[in-house]
Amino acid sequence: MSDRVEAVKKLFTSKSSRVETNKGDTYYQDLFEKCEARLNEMRSHTPANKLDFTDLLEENGIDRREFMKWASATTAMLMLPPMFTPLVADAAVMMNRAPVIWLELQDCAGNSEALLRADGPKIDEIVLDIISLEYHETLQAASGFQAEKQLDEAMEHFKGKYLLFVEGAIPMGMNGQYGTIGAAGETFHDHLVRCAENAAAVIAVGSCATFGGIPAASPNPTGAVGVMDVVKNKPLINIPACPANPANMVGVILHYVLTGQVPELDSLLRPKFAFGYRIHDNCERRAHFDAGEYVEEWGDKGAQNNFCLYKMGCKGPMTFNNCSIVRYNEAVNWPIGVGRGCIGCSEPDFWDKYAYERPMADAKIKAPTGGVEKTVDEFGLGMLTAVGIGIGIHAAASAIAGKREKSGESHE
Amino acid sequence: MNEGYKQVKRMTPAMRIIHWVNAICMIGAIATGLYIGHPYYQTFMADGAVDKYVMAWNRYGHFIIAILFDVTSVLIVYLYFFSRFEKPYKKVIPNAKNWTEFKDVVVNLVTLNRKNEFNSTHSDSFNTVYFTIFHLLLLWMLLTGLQMYVWGLGSGLSSIGSWWPWILHLSTDWTLYVTGGSKMDVRLSHHYTMWFVICWIVFHIYYQVWRTIFWKEADIAIVIGGSKFVKEEKANRK
Ligand code: HEM
Ligand code: SF4
Ligand code: SF4
Repeated sequence: MSDRVEAVKKLFTSKSSRVETNKGDTYYQDLFEKCEARLNEMRSHTPANKLDFTDLLEENGIDRREFMKWASATTAMLMLPPMFTPLVADAAVMMNRAPVIWLELQDCAGNSEALLRADGPKIDEIVLDIISLEYHETLQAASGFQAEKQLDEAMEHFKGKYLLFVEGAIPMGMNGQYGTIGAAGETFHDHLVRCAENAAAVIAVGSCATFGGIPAASPNPTGAVGVMDVVKNKPLINIPACPANPANMVGVILHYVLTGQVPELDSLLRPKFAFGYRIHDNCERRAHFDAGEYVEEWGDKGAQNNFCLYKMGCKGPMTFNNCSIVRYNEAVNWPIGVGRGCIGCSEPDFWDKYAYERPMADAKIKAPTGGVEKTVDEFGLGMLTAVGIGIGIHAAASAIAGKREKSGESHE
Repeated sequence: MNEGYKQVKRMTPAMRIIHWVNAICMIGAIATGLYIGHPYYQTFMADGAVDKYVMAWNRYGHFIIAILFDVTSVLIVYLYFFSRFEKPYKKVIPNAKNWTEFKDVVVNLVTLNRKNEFNSTHSDSFNTVYFTIFHLLLLWMLLTGLQMYVWGLGSGLSSIGSWWPWILHLSTDWTLYVTGGSKMDVRLSHHYTMWFVICWIVFHIYYQVWRTIFWKEADIAIVIGGSKFVKEEKANRK
C-alpha cells in the first residue's frame, strides 16, 4: 500500500509521458560536444577485451555501408538528430570498453538467448557480443569458487563504473531461499543487492526482472518481485518484454556509452525511446481494426488476408513497446506480423492480465474473492439477474399489498 | 387539478435536458462500448475497407458520447453546489435530519408503501443519495475512459495541443494504481462499472414507476413536465 501511495505521489509530481523528439539546437549542440569529449577520453582507455568490432563485422559479412545504415537507424531510434550518426558508430566500436556484469536470477535465460542468437548475428547482436561481459552467470567458463572470485575482482576493478544487467525475478518468499547462488548459498536477493551497490547503473532486462514476469504470475508461489522493488537509490532502467529486444538493450548501452547518462524514462522506468509508443498505433493491421475486419478463427479467410487480431486476443491497444517499429532480428518480422496477437509482454502482470487468446471482455477472470472464474459479462449478467429477481419480488409483493389495501378500504 | 392536491416543481428545464441527454447517451455508450470490447457484428469481406470503418465509427460515437458526458458532468457538479433551485449536496450530508428522511423513504419502499411518513414535495435524501451514486459511477467511467483514451496519444501530442494529454495524465493516471497497476485493470474496471451502471438504471426506472403507481403523485411526470402533485396535507409535513 505504501508503495502505491509513493507511486501515486510520484505520478503527480512527474512530467507527462510526452516523448520529446526535438529539444532544440542548443541542447543538441551541447550534447554533441559532451559526447565527443567523452568518446575521445574513452578511446584512450585500453579495451577490456580483445574483440574487435570491425573485424567481427567483416567476419560476418557486414560491410561498412550496412553498418552506417544501422548507425543512422539507431541514432533515429535514440531520438538523436542525424549529426550524431558518426558518434553512434564510434560508440558502437568502443562498446568493448563498457564493463558489464550480468546476473541471472529466477528466469528462463531467454534474454541471454536473445542477445546471443548467433546463427548469422546481426549488428545489434554483434554489438552485444563485444561488450565487455566481465561476468555472466550463464555464459562464463568459470564455475564455483573461481566464478565467485571473478565476480569479486570485476566488481573491485570496475567499481562504480560497471553496468549491472539483471535478468530474472527475485524470489522473496521463505527469506529468499527459493533461489540461491554459489557455494555459500547466497540468496538471489542478497546477491543482487551486493552487486548493485557499486554499479554505475542497474539495467533490468526482460519482464521478469522488471515486473516479476512469469515467476510472479498468480499465485506467485515464490513471492517473486522485480528489480525495482529491491534496488533503490540507484539509476535503474527497465527494459521489459519477453524477451527484451536486443535493439533496446543496445540502445540503452549505446546511450550510456555515448552520453554517460541514463536515457529519459517513463513512469515505469522504461526508456521512452523504446516504450513511448503503443503497439496498436504503429501496427500494420490497424486499418483492419478501424474497418472492423477481424480474424475470427485461426486460419480463416480473415487470417489469410492479414486482418486485425483483436478478436483473437491481441493486446496491442494496451501495450507500449517499439516492436511494431523496430521489430525483431533486425526488422525481419514481429509477433503480429507473423499472425499472432500481442500478449502485452512489456506491461506489468502481463501473464495474468494480457496473455490470453481472446479479448479482455471474453476472458475468464478470477473473482476478487479468488473464487470461480467468470467473464466480466457473465458477472454483470449475474448481477443484473439478481437485481431483476429482487425487483420482481418487490413488484409482486407491492401489487398484492396494494390490492389488499383496496379491499380493506372497501370493507370500512 | 384534483381537489386537495398541490402541484410542486421538481426539475428545472436544464435538469430535464441533462437527464434525457444522459439517458440517450447511456444507451449509445453501452451499445458502442460493448462493440469495442467485443465486436459483436461482422462486416462483409466483399465491401471495401473505406466503406466500412465500423470500429472507427463505434469508437467515434463512444467518444462523442463521452464528451457529452464530460460536459454534463461538469454542469451537474456545479448544480450540486450552486443550483438556485435545490442544492443536492445539502441532502447527502449525513446529518440527523437527512438520516431520518433517508430511513423513512427506505422503510416506505420495504413496507411496500404501508408507511409513508415523509414530505415528498422535494427530492428526498434517499433519492439524492441514489443519484449521487450514479454520478460517482459516471465519474469513474469518465476517469477510466479518459485514461484509456490517453494511451492513444502516446507521443504526448494531440491535434488540440500537448496540454490535453498532459491534463489527462495528470488527472487519470492514478486510476492505474487503484485498479491494480496495469492498463488492463483500468479497462476491466471500465467494463465492470458499466454493469453497475446498468443495474443502477434498471432499479432507477423500476423505482420511478413504482412511486408513480403507489404514491399516486404522478412522479413519472417530473422528468417530462418538471412537476408532480402532492396531497396538501402531506405537503405540510416537515
Ligand atoms: C457511462 C457510460 C459508458 C459505458 C457504459 C462505457 C462502456 C464501455 C465498454 C463496455 C468498453 C469496452 C471495454 C472492453 O471490454 O474492452 C469501453 C471502452 C472504452 N471506453 Fe467507455 N463507456 C462509457 C463511458 C466512457 C467515457 C465517458 C469515456 C471517456 C473518454 C470512455 C472511453 C472509452 C475508451 C477510450 C474505451 C476503449 C476503446 C479503445 O481502446 O478502442 N467510455 N467503454
Ligand atoms: S492486430 Fe492488435 S495491435 Fe494490430 S491493429 Fe489489431 S488490435 Fe491493434
Ligand atoms: S507484439 Fe506484444 S507480446 Fe509480442 S513482443 Fe511485442 S509487446 Fe511483446
